[in-house]
Amino acid sequence: MTSVNPFIPNSATLIKVTDLTYDIKLLNLQLEDPVLRENFDYKPGQFGFLSAYGIGEAPFGFVSLAYRKAGIEFAVRRIGTVTAALHELEPGATIGVRGPFGNYFPLDNYRGKNIIIIGGGIGMAPLRPVINFILDHRADYGDFLIINGARSPRDLVFANEFDTWAQAAITKVELCVDRCDDKWQGRVALVPDVITQLKPSPVNAIAITCGPPIMIRFALARLKELGFGNEQIVTTLEQKMKCGLGKCARCNVGDKYVCKDGPVFTFEQISKFIEQF
Amino acid sequence: MTKVITKEDLLSWLRQLAEKYTVVAPVTSNGVTLYESISGSEVDKIDLSFSNTELSPKNLFFPPTEALFTIVQNERPEIIPAKVDREAIIFGVRPCDARGIALIDKAFLAEPADGFYKEKREKTTLVGLACSAPCPECFCTSVGSSPADPTHVDLLLIPTEAGYITQIVTDKCKQLLMGAPVKEAEAVQPSLPSLKSVPAEGITEVMSKVFNDPYWDRVADRCVHCNICAYVCPCCYCFDIRDYVSKGKIERVRSWESCQSAGFTRIAGGYDPRSTKGSRLRQRWYHKLLYFPEQFGDIKCTGCGRCVRSCPVNIDIREIINDVQRMRA
Amino acid sequence: MINEIRNKAKELLEKKRVECVIGYERATDGLTARPAFIYDPSEVDRLIFDETCVHNLSRFLIDKKHKATAIVAKPCDSRGINLLLNESQLKRENLFIIGVVCSGVKKVRFNQIEDSLQNKCQYCPQHVPSVYDFLVGEPVTETASRNYAEVTAIEDMTSADRKLFWAEHFDRCIRCYGCRQVCMGCYCYECFVDELDPLWAGIRIASSENRMWNTMRAFHLAGRCISCGECERVCPVNIPLMLLNRKLEKDTVHLFDFEPGINAETTPPFATFKKGEDLGISK
Repeated sequence: MTSVNPFIPNSATLIKVTDLTYDIKLLNLQLEDPVLRENFDYKPGQFGFLSAYGIGEAPFGFVSLAYRKAGIEFAVRRIGTVTAALHELEPGATIGVRGPFGNYFPLDNYRGKNIIIIGGGIGMAPLRPVINFILDHRADYGDFLIINGARSPRDLVFANEFDTWAQAAITKVELCVDRCDDKWQGRVALVPDVITQLKPSPVNAIAITCGPPIMIRFALARLKELGFGNEQIVTTLEQKMKCGLGKCARCNVGDKYVCKDGPVFTFEQISKFIEQF
Repeated sequence: MTKVITKEDLLSWLRQLAEKYTVVAPVTSNGVTLYESISGSEVDKIDLSFSNTELSPKNLFFPPTEALFTIVQNERPEIIPAKVDREAIIFGVRPCDARGIALIDKAFLAEPADGFYKEKREKTTLVGLACSAPCPECFCTSVGSSPADPTHVDLLLIPTEAGYITQIVTDKCKQLLMGAPVKEAEAVQPSLPSLKSVPAEGITEVMSKVFNDPYWDRVADRCVHCNICAYVCPCCYCFDIRDYVSKGKIERVRSWESCQSAGFTRIAGGYDPRSTKGSRLRQRWYHKLLYFPEQFGDIKCTGCGRCVRSCPVNIDIREIINDVQRMRA
Repeated sequence: MINEIRNKAKELLEKKRVECVIGYERATDGLTARPAFIYDPSEVDRLIFDETCVHNLSRFLIDKKHKATAIVAKPCDSRGINLLLNESQLKRENLFIIGVVCSGVKKVRFNQIEDSLQNKCQYCPQHVPSVYDFLVGEPVTETASRNYAEVTAIEDMTSADRKLFWAEHFDRCIRCYGCRQVCMGCYCYECFVDELDPLWAGIRIASSENRMWNTMRAFHLAGRCISCGECERVCPVNIPLMLLNRKLEKDTVHLFDFEPGINAETTPPFATFKKGEDLGISK
């Protein structure tokens, strides 16, 4: 009897590497096994583990859409040993992929609603497939506002796609940075302040946010001030993970395991967490 | 008349089994009793008078370190999953420890099941040994077990004057018992030793109300955040995974870790939601007494008393449970 | 004796001279002691002092670095305090040390206090703490001298026998780091064994890594270990760690004429650089 070992990654080939910022790369992979490649399905919000063989694994949210069949994409920020090793890889290299894990944004439930995306820094990564999904199904959704902030202009993620997003119908892309450089012409403000300035209406709206914990907390407060209810605000949480299967007992916030019960949670759910994230 | 095996016959039976199986039994040396793999000729090393081992038999299924798979660098990296080669018998498992393994099963065999662990479980027979002299720290009867509880072993041996009563629990051990020198004899099962009770009834509900109490910080004052309590525990199972490169091959290694150690929840970049001593100490008790029962229905504690004996600073789960119950008022 | 400790603790807390008194209280077995943290003067009756007070409380000062703290200190604990003061981990003005004259801590086995002393007390040369603000107990003249008999026994083994001896012990190590966590000398924010880049021992729990862990820790404590014996006491698998530490202590005394923790001024040899120093190795 062969045991199914859920820790064994699937081999994938690195097809393309794109620099998104000075420390974030977009990796585009293709699974080696053709049957798996055809059937590998995942939804925005879910995550996978990337293996840098010889170092280890780390979790990353999928930033591509499975149905577009243009490769599996992850945005990887160089910040530790695994991500540093992933940054060294060149097209043609083998990477291990495990997944998909976790739950996903219930985008079907949001049809007909106005959508506000609020992203900070690398937090834009799991939001990018949400944006692309909505743009692919533009007629199914109402007004679309994207607020994207970063510490400085060179930290803005997916800058090369902003124009594409802004060109869609009834879609606004609002950028902001904490500190500007000589060339920056746009807004210099913190994301929560931009929310307050733009005053998005909570009527028939869903706000989807992701970014550093502190940004999420302040964004939540500002949205509440504008009248958003807890069930109208959705986020995706990040915790240290090792197995992704709910077995290493590490990623929990209280009794909720981010790898199994999340990573997507509404604030209604988060407000009931016994522990602070 | 009951089925009984004498001590001498038991040892000769184990000697025979050791030819076909990997036999693991409690052996005392250097002042500690640990489960060790013994060959047929080493059967006399088994300590039949032990109260309990220092480390639990969970080690046989969830060892301190193991390779989950190996990667060989051919033209393309080739993944070779770890295999389970042995059929094993663990002799001398206390009911509390067998229950501990069953609790770990709940986590490791939940979907998606850890197939590697599952195979080890299927290829191992547990021969339990009922307790005649529990330790002062034991409280298994307060958490759903007892000194002669057969529930989670395949065969239970109960020590009596006439020898060990053999209580068959699962079909697994029937194969092993064929040809074993078991006799019919008059044997009286000794009355169960009584244990001090711990008020674990309803603890889960009270825990859900006292999360933010400063009690946890006060207990954490003396916690030194080693990993001893989690490592000696028969049902703790937190682990770390990392790759090791040695002698030209890469192994993905799973090793024990515990929620107590600093950096358990720290991610690259420095964010750490449990950076304080109190929050880490609290996590241990909440996992055992609230999160695990909510997920799987049972308190994650078997009352074996090891953590009470081994904690360098006397953080005592029985005291914690008593204190929390008092906080309900 | 205990009344003096309690009264002093009460006074310090009432006058807000300290925020916390670290001492001992009765453990749940009703027999032995465990560390106690008293924040309120009304709780000083929790404090006890007897021959089961084995813990090195100076370890807990590391968590209270910037707070005004009182501590009940046996001689071994006081050596720990001196080490921490010398290495700038504590500020002397934050501490109030209630020194206790000590005649040794007894061994406890199978929930009974035995007649014999803990191993560490059998080779400890001190009855009176090296540093204190208030002394409890009558000071005595120190007569005990250092004794390394059990270390010499290992030194006398052949290299092959010694290798087997230690392999048998290190193979039992489960890297719980109980030894590190109870040690007041192990206060590094990131221990070498937790570093992943470069990878020293990492997470693998096996012979080679265990050997590296235990010997490297001993070396990092050479000239710093004050022989409180806690590492050996807490080890769940009975590794005779003090043999390693005392071997290095013996060598440090011999090579540098240095005894750790005697005062807060003298810096341990391996933290000291002296130009042109004769290390005495050729002798």
